[in-house]
Amino acid sequence: MYRARIERDFNLWVEKGLLDRAAAGAMLAEYDARPSSFSAGRVLMVLAGVLLAAAVLLLVAANWEAIPRVARVVGIIGLLWAAYLGAAFSLSRGAVAIGTALLVLATMAFGGAIALVGQMYHLSGDSADALIVWFLVACAATVLFRSGALAVLCGALGWWIFIDLVFESDASLEGNGYIFLVPVLVLIIVALVRYTGAGIARHLAYLLMLGWLGWLYTEAPEAWLAATYFGIGLVAFLLAVLPFSPLRRMADEAGAAPAFYSFALALLGLIALHMEMEYLWQDVVIGATALAVSLAGIGLAGRLNGAVRFLGYAAFAGELLFLSSETIGSILGTSGFFLISGVVVAAIAYAVIRIERRLAARPATGTEA
Amino acid sequence: MKAFLSKPAILNVWVSAVIIAALQTAILGYMIESRAAILRNGHDVVLQTVPVDPRDLLRGDYVILSYDISTIPLDKLVDTLPQEETDAQLSVRLAKAEDGFWHVREAAFGTLPPLEDGSVVARTQPFYFYPQPSGSQTALSVEYGIERYYVPEGQGKPLEEARNAQALSVTASVSDTGVMQIRTISIDGKPLYEEPPF
Repeated sequence: MYRARIERDFNLWVEKGLLDRAAAGAMLAEYDARPSSFSAGRVLMVLAGVLLAAAVLLLVAANWEAIPRVARVVGIIGLLWAAYLGAAFSLSRGAVAIGTALLVLATMAFGGAIALVGQMYHLSGDSADALIVWFLVACAATVLFRSGALAVLCGALGWWIFIDLVFESDASLEGNGYIFLVPVLVLIIVALVRYTGAGIARHLAYLLMLGWLGWLYTEAPEAWLAATYFGIGLVAFLLAVLPFSPLRRMADEAGAAPAFYSFALALLGLIALHMEMEYLWQDVVIGATALAVSLAGIGLAGRLNGAVRFLGYAAFAGELLFLSSETIGSILGTSGFFLISGVVVAAIAYAVIRIERRLAARPATGTEA
Repeated sequence: MKAFLSKPAILNVWVSAVIIAALQTAILGYMIESRAAILRNGHDVVLQTVPVDPRDLLRGDYVILSYDISTIPLDKLVDTLPQEETDAQLSVRLAKAEDGFWHVREAAFGTLPPLEDGSVVARTQPFYFYPQPSGSQTALSVEYGIERYYVPEGQGKPLEEARNAQALSVTASVSDTGVMQIRTISIDGKPLYEEPPF
């Protein structure tokens, strides 16, 4: 964790005489006093909430026919009320951990309640419809309580809807159109993230968008779509990282994510373009573009953004290996290919070490993202 | 991990809790009441069940039901089949026959007008229609949303056996908009499960 790392560094700096011991102590004390700092008890409380919610969901399958149906409905609704009112009580007393756990419990239990009522009253419905109702209610709860934990739950429900549509409802481009709601879900989740400040859910939202775009390409594998991904990804990446970009400030507020995911979209487009190509020279052109884009990504954003740097290296290495297997590999045979791969990987490793050294040596010009 | 409730909420937490719990109560209540309304105001039809293949389809604790009206012969269709694959939903006119069961009189991809001859119009669940080479398709398979019946654990077997022996009949209620709900499940005409509205 960050706390342990920074303490280790402080100790080192104090030993070397770079930092006053009293100042280091004061900084650590300030960090510990922040309300958001890590607390095992708080994490365990949230985990307990998740476990209890899972138990409630499992009740769907449980055997409780002995209770009359109306009593069961009253019990379920009573549980929801008790959990929300309990959450309000805890939050008003400043017991944020318990309150948050109860909010998560209640909002998850609502999904179980929809399933239970559907089963008890023999309601046959679309699972996607039920999930969307659940998602919308979870969003309303997130806004009302301004809860980051609920925003994460919304992000997870967004994924659940996407998976249900693709695997259970066999979504297609000509289908009922629900699948085109996914980008809307992404926008809603991103808005909730900005409103609540829950950074984890941001990754759920961006990954959902990438997943959906990947799905779209498998449904409509066209070169223009792949090229569009590449173009939009590249433009978005440049907008997020170039110093004179009007969106730079907004992107920086969101941390490393905008640059990373736009970069990933550009690379996704290049992979798709590779699949579209028929001739070797076309693959070579795409490959050369991919190598240039990887290096540009590392050069432009790699110093401050470790995720982009890592993705850049991975793309560069993958692309070089792909190109050598397509070109030299066919001439050399298997053992020769492994030989050339070894040489290529060694060369990449050398280049990476040089780049890392240069990035580290250059004085910082911007603020840490 | 960032603070989960770092910024103040717009409303008092108590107000928020009441709003969200009331919203959830309203949604669950709407689900229950919209079904009860069909049982209260709908027209009853008695349906013959047919064996389901594969025969043992007791999934957890519900029985899969299939009806003779689940198969629509194409000669009952009063309009034409779509030429391209599309999302579709059928209107099906059910009428009582001399055997006491209700059967398909006609069906349409569009709507069917209500008639004063005692027949009722049901709407099928939406399904995805793939056109087949002409002549190879003779019937459409549809669902009405009454194909699943949850039973207490261990009680599914007799229903399955009765269904496969074609002794099982279902009385369903059809709303004015064509939505169906199960009212009674009978074996050899004797009611086994009767559904109260609540």
